[in-house]
Amino acid sequence: MADHKGAYGASSSNDTSFRKTWDRSEYAAKAADRDQKIKEEGKARYQATLEGKKYHRRASTPEDTKDTEARSARLNVADKVGKTQIIVAGAGQGKRGKSAGFYCEACDLTYKDNLQFVEHLNSRQHLVATGESGEVRRAALEEVKDRFEYLKRKREEEKAREVVDLTSRIEVARDQEEREREEKRRKRNEKRRKTKDGLGVQEIKVENDGVIC
Amino acid sequence: MAHHADAKRALDERGYKGQLVRGDNPLKLFEKPVRDRIVDSYYWKEQCFGLNAATLLDRATELSFVGGTYGVAQRPTPFLCLAFKLLQIVPDKEIILFYLEQEEYKYLRVLAAFYIRLAWEKDEEVYATLEPYLTDSRKLKRRTREGWALTYVDDFIDDLLLKSRVCATTLPKINPRLFLEDEDRLEPRISALGGELEELDGEDEEEDESNGEVEEVNGPVNGREHEADGSDEEMVGG
Repeated sequence: MADHKGAYGASSSNDTSFRKTWDRSEYAAKAADRDQKIKEEGKARYQATLEGKKYHRRASTPEDTKDTEARSARLNVADKVGKTQIIVAGAGQGKRGKSAGFYCEACDLTYKDNLQFVEHLNSRQHLVATGESGEVRRAALEEVKDRFEYLKRKREEEKAREVVDLTSRIEVARDQEEREREEKRRKRNEKRRKTKDGLGVQEIKVENDGVIC
Repeated sequence: MAHHADAKRALDERGYKGQLVRGDNPLKLFEKPVRDRIVDSYYWKEQCFGLNAATLLDRATELSFVGGTYGVAQRPTPFLCLAFKLLQIVPDKEIILFYLEQEEYKYLRVLAAFYIRLAWEKDEEVYATLEPYLTDSRKLKRRTREGWALTYVDDFIDDLLLKSRVCATTLPKINPRLFLEDEDRLEPRISALGGELEELDGEDEEEDESNGEVEEVNGPVNGREHEADGSDEEMVGG
């Protein structure tokens, strides 16, 4: 007998092979998962009624939330002292929008004093806006030891930098100055490379630097 | 395992679900007015937010004085705020012992000692853990209600074991050492002075013979006089 061939020339014997093949194990796992969830919720519901409370399903935590961590540095609340800032008239309404004061970029809010500002930074609203969970990871003993060693090392380094001898102090100052100059040079070069023909940003000299005298 | 970034949830009156110390919320070891002042203070909000047992070291190593509350407004010292934080996160015992045993930072050691006296429930354990540090005679700066005072690590620990009120906090009741010795829960303490103490006693007896009076030897083991400063005894008004 001739070999099996479909009417349209399909090589395989059964003509339903064009259908989607289902991964049975995957869907079985999914179903089991769902059953488990329903069971757990039922249990929680039952527990709540036993305690005479109403059960509320907890809103699921977004997957990309990160743990809240301690501030790595002090809040710099004095960095704008003595500086002038131009504020667009009517930019902020109440706390909303950017206006004069402490501005929180994540929440688009402006606070007039640092106490309110730090309270805002600790608030649920801000934590949600920055994708933090408001919970802090517990530290293990190893971590505590590592942190301690790091702090100890840092203090020792600082102590080593602190010298009383005049010649070495001059040396340290010279080193620092050289480093700063290097940094400035690097920045200038970068700027020059960024402009089209590598000429750099042309500074426009104004007589008396715009000071009316 | 995680804990909250601040103490708002732990201080909520509507139920506390966390670790218990002496059968209650550990934060309640501090009195209500002090608690409120700590939670209101800028140091707490700015520096103590989101600390865990490791990052707490950053702040504790920067401590430069101990004390309870100061000034007319009775503001809490950073030392008190950090102790409060420790009570909130209730670190493992090994971590607290690590804080206590390290040599470099005396204020961290004192902080751990303060925490141990507050939160550990077994009297004999508290005595056994803290007494070895009665040989540590480093100086401490103490901020009093108005002004500053000088104290020492051993002095501070001696206060913790004997006084009922230290750093604006009423310490939980602890059995006196003699009682624990009588019950065979503690071995008699061997003074770091060793033979010197007996020699001193001997001299006293000789004097006693001549005077015909019995005099008691008071004061801490190293013979330093207690400074008369009752600032810790002051009640904290609401």
